[in-house]
Amino acid sequence: MEVRKILLTEDEMPRQWYNILADIKMNPPLGPDGNPIKPEDLAPVFPMNLIEQEMSSERWIDIPEEVLSVLKIWRPAPLVRALSFEKALDTPARIYFKNEGLSPPGSHKPNTAVPQAYYNKVFGIKKLTTETGAGQWGSALSFACSQFGLECKVFMVRISFDQKPYRKSLMATWGANCIASPSTLTKAGRDILESDPNTPGSLAIAISEAVEAAVTDESGETRYSLGSVLNHVMLHQTIIGLEAKKQMEKIGEYPDIVIGCAGGGSNFAGLAYPYVCDKINGREIEIYPVEPTACPTLTRAPFAYDHGDSAKYTPLLPMHSLGHSFVPAPIHAGGLRYHGMAPTVSQLVSEGLIEAKAVNQLAAYKAGVLMARTEGIVPAPETNHALACVVDEAKKAKEEGKEKVILFNFSGHGLIDLGAYDKYFSGKLKDYELGKEEESKFEACLEDHPKPELLKSC
Amino acid sequence: MDEDSRDHLERRCPRLGGSVTFQYCMDCGDEELPCFKIFDCWWEYFDIVTYLQKKLSEDQFKRLAISKPRPKVASLVDLIRQARS
Repeated sequence: MEVRKILLTEDEMPRQWYNILADIKMNPPLGPDGNPIKPEDLAPVFPMNLIEQEMSSERWIDIPEEVLSVLKIWRPAPLVRALSFEKALDTPARIYFKNEGLSPPGSHKPNTAVPQAYYNKVFGIKKLTTETGAGQWGSALSFACSQFGLECKVFMVRISFDQKPYRKSLMATWGANCIASPSTLTKAGRDILESDPNTPGSLAIAISEAVEAAVTDESGETRYSLGSVLNHVMLHQTIIGLEAKKQMEKIGEYPDIVIGCAGGGSNFAGLAYPYVCDKINGREIEIYPVEPTACPTLTRAPFAYDHGDSAKYTPLLPMHSLGHSFVPAPIHAGGLRYHGMAPTVSQLVSEGLIEAKAVNQLAAYKAGVLMARTEGIVPAPETNHALACVVDEAKKAKEEGKEKVILFNFSGHGLIDLGAYDKYFSGKLKDYELGKEEESKFEACLEDHPKPELLKSC
Repeated sequence: MDEDSRDHLERRCPRLGGSVTFQYCMDCGDEELPCFKIFDCWWEYFDIVTYLQKKLSEDQFKRLAISKPRPKVASLVDLIRQARS
């Protein structure tokens, strides 16, 4: 009988996180004045123990027992063999996924929320603030704070606050105070409300409020927390990939392809970075962060690196060439502009260690529905992008007749996000199709562009 | 009413994780610009590039189209300084 789940015991859980900064070269982050940021610059928002992790180049960092104890509520997360998904695709590929949808908030987010709450607690912090859109991160932090007896104040973008009443309820159940942003609690919020009392808010405003609430607390007992992008967040998420490696070792498997959806990059990094380490050390493996397809005229804007900071991009494409039409989806990974992406993910793409992929939304939802109808679990809409890439690779494996091993991250369930599926089922989503003539015009404008010089780690 | 307006269109916002109108995308960006993801989110629905070239000034369009990703750490340090001032 085929095994569907590969489990680890609690004793077998990883005891250390993997820090990719030990193995790749990154330019130091620069502050607004252009100088490298010092730890004390971040001290108003993060406790020093997290700042140390943010800047550390130690390869392995111990996971505190108190953190493991909370993570054990749902970890180790099962590695699942997607037998029914494979059968539906009629593929010789063996498809596995880490199910990160079993945490109390339903996603991978608490893998970092829990250690962040812990480190703040031991530093003497009593309250954490954060921002959230539709509430997944705010819920995760609320849960984590409740585990360590911290207060939690979540500034939720107003438009989402009004749309998602049950997210507020979830946060309140975990003891957090969820406030619609902009609010009157901060100067940033009051200023916005004065100019536009009916504003629907934005993430930028919510972040400003959350940071201000932390920085201006005169007791010094409040800090800020965020759920993606930063190095310490990527670090904490590597428990996903480290568990996966142990689980696959148990059954004598190793992936040929690792796939994760990439928005800010944390769930992708969590699964992939332990495998990137192997790749740096000579292992052959394909690693794909997957995004929604990006506007082709902008993602193909040729660029040169600013050598002072690999996270900055300076496009050279003259303005007159913008406005060309569109090119089919697969080549348009958004990564060339990479707004909001973790710097380490961007660096790995630029070095060629990982390859950015893009899928359009119809393909993503189609894959998500197939997952639900075969494996039973309903993916979060973001997770569907990874699934669409898995479907592509499974089909390639079939065409090539190869028994490839595909591992992907099921980053969260979609049970609080079924409105997104409603739109798909109602036929309101569509693909854009491009003609050949438009395609060739677009390709012509890419000729003779200079290639960037890259900072290489290996 | 502007016959060309797309304000009524709706889609899921990948940053917020919920449904928004195109008008929201036009209004929610920094420095009075649309959201930096507006091109990437809407290009499958209509010719967003041409639309924005008409709706925005040349300077606004340029700033939006070739905006650099701003490192998160730098923007946090900036917010800290603003909060303290």
